Amino acid sequence: MTSANMNRPIRGGAAAPAALPARGGVGLKPEHFRHILETQPDIGFFEVHAENYMGAGGPFHRYLERIRADYPLSIHGVGLSIGGEDPLDEDHLDRLAALLARYQPESFSEHLAWSSHGGAFFNDLLPAPWHASTLARVCAHIDRVQERLGRHMLLENPATYVEFEVSTMAESDFIAEVVKRTGCGLLLDVNNAYVSCINHHRDVRAYLRALPLAAVGEIHLAGHAREVDAAGAPLLIDSHGAPVAEAVWALYDFALSLVGPQPTLIERDNDIPEFPVLAAEAHQAEIVMARHAKLEAAA
Amino acid sequence: MSAAFAYTLLRPEAPCPAGLKTWNGSDPAQRFAVYRNNVIVSLVDALADSFPVVQALVGEDFFRAMAAEFARGTPPRSPVLAWYGTGFADFVADFPPAAGLPYLADVARLEWLRVEAWHAADADPLPLAEMAARLADAAALPALRLTLHPSLRVLRSAHPVVSLWAAHQAEDVSAALGAVDFADAEAALVVRDGLDVDILRIEAGAAEFVDKLLRGAALGEAAQASGPFDLPATLGMLLRSGAIIEAAPARRIS
Amino acid sequence: MNKSITAASLAIAFGTAMTLAAAPAAAQDKMADKEKCYGVAMKGKNDCKAGAGTSCAGTSKIDYQGNAWSMVPKGTCEKTASPTSPTGHGQLKEFKEKKA
Repeated sequence: MTSANMNRPIRGGAAAPAALPARGGVGLKPEHFRHILETQPDIGFFEVHAENYMGAGGPFHRYLERIRADYPLSIHGVGLSIGGEDPLDEDHLDRLAALLARYQPESFSEHLAWSSHGGAFFNDLLPAPWHASTLARVCAHIDRVQERLGRHMLLENPATYVEFEVSTMAESDFIAEVVKRTGCGLLLDVNNAYVSCINHHRDVRAYLRALPLAAVGEIHLAGHAREVDAAGAPLLIDSHGAPVAEAVWALYDFALSLVGPQPTLIERDNDIPEFPVLAAEAHQAEIVMARHAKLEAAA
Repeated sequence: MSAAFAYTLLRPEAPCPAGLKTWNGSDPAQRFAVYRNNVIVSLVDALADSFPVVQALVGEDFFRAMAAEFARGTPPRSPVLAWYGTGFADFVADFPPAAGLPYLADVARLEWLRVEAWHAADADPLPLAEMAARLADAAALPALRLTLHPSLRVLRSAHPVVSLWAAHQAEDVSAALGAVDFADAEAALVVRDGLDVDILRIEAGAAEFVDKLLRGAALGEAAQASGPFDLPATLGMLLRSGAIIEAAPARRIS
Repeated sequence: MNKSITAASLAIAFGTAMTLAAAPAAAQDKMADKEKCYGVAMKGKNDCKAGAGTSCAGTSKIDYQGNAWSMVPKGTCEKTASPTSPTGHGQLKEFKEKKA
């Protein structure tokens, strides 16, 4: 299928670990631990949320060790607050470093968002204004993360519900500048791009084209929920609680026309179905990838 | 900007922060509510996952409202949510609307010990053959110090906490609850044995004994200073649970 | 107090304990009053949803407005014969206090 991509060149030098394969992956949920070990499904990679594996021991580590032995692994942080005004939490960075040393994941990623302020952790990916001081802070934080972890990270574009009057840059330009200054990669969340562009009435294809696409190292796909704002306009919520929407599949197809096949994760965190349902979505992503691989070969 | 956001996230009555805009000029408050909702719902969900029996006892509506109250006053200090809920039992103890359920806080304490045990460090038990070798010199036994599994915890309660917890694992919860005698004081031993966390009902004296061992007392001293309990049964239980990971002569401190 | 703990009594106790530890599992569980957490698995709390976890996702569930001060526990506690409740059946009077 796409096995040639499993050995594609590594960004970041000899010390960097191997990259994720350009295949479909699934977010690893404790509900599916046993099923995965018992059935050994043909899945390109698994992704875990770093913070769930920061306990000292116990079942989570036991299962992850066994599953990781059989599959490529992506570790996805959800608590570093890279966009925050607080200094980076060095204790948390130490925990991340230990986790990465233990599991040697093919990829590490985090979010362009903040979640802590004044020492309190809000457990949500909160938005920041796109302007020079946020840019300086985000770049300083990413520099520190990459220095401490000794590797490049991927930064994920956010799903947002409000915009700030003080913003002076387009989100895509902001991300392009961060990538240029820090050398980090881009985790392109196609659902987030769709959700944000509907919520802020932007042209999502133009948004994608303006992103630093050469830096894409992984793609996320997920489902969203549909609500309306105070004026009755659609307000999409990044719920991760439904199958990937048709419009997002179409946008994924468009994204691959720009970046070619990429490791693609199916994220599901609410109303988690049986594992084969998610595996089928990962397989669907591989079908789209295969089509683009053929197009690339023909070109 | 973050300060105004952060302030408002935990206060449902506070107005939406200034400086937000929307493409269509609609009121940003409705969009901001998504964030405020995410924060509280996700923290409450985390507590519900850690305290399922407390939730069952008071019902989902009451639990979620109580947990939201806790989350607003005590948001997490760490991004690791597995550790969120340390102070929840104390909060429950002082929460007036729950005052009619005097056992509720201790059930929360027991559930929190279960969370701690779940995530505690791994350690291999001392094999029985090696244990036997450690016991060969009978004269040295009183000075023997046991190192117990990192997941092991004890709780002594004035309420039947283990029976209440166990009733919620039963097939017929109502029947199991009907059989609970609320005059019973109970002690619990919590330990992870393999991938499962066990909750065992133990005698109050045995809980005292294990507590002393956890604090580093030697066997003789710990047994001597505890209330009456079945010593062979307690040691047998610790061995069976894989809770003894080392046994070595206590070093004299004085 | 266990005033009679001696090296000899500890040796006997351990002897019995070692025998117990080697007994078959079924017998062990009977003796120990043991409650296993079968099926009571812990979820990952840090996850991409406003659920048992850290969210990189939103949720449409609106329940941040619940006011615990005007609520009464209505769960399995109603099945218990609580000794301290006014009616003796775990029913609670409604709290009317307002915060602040």
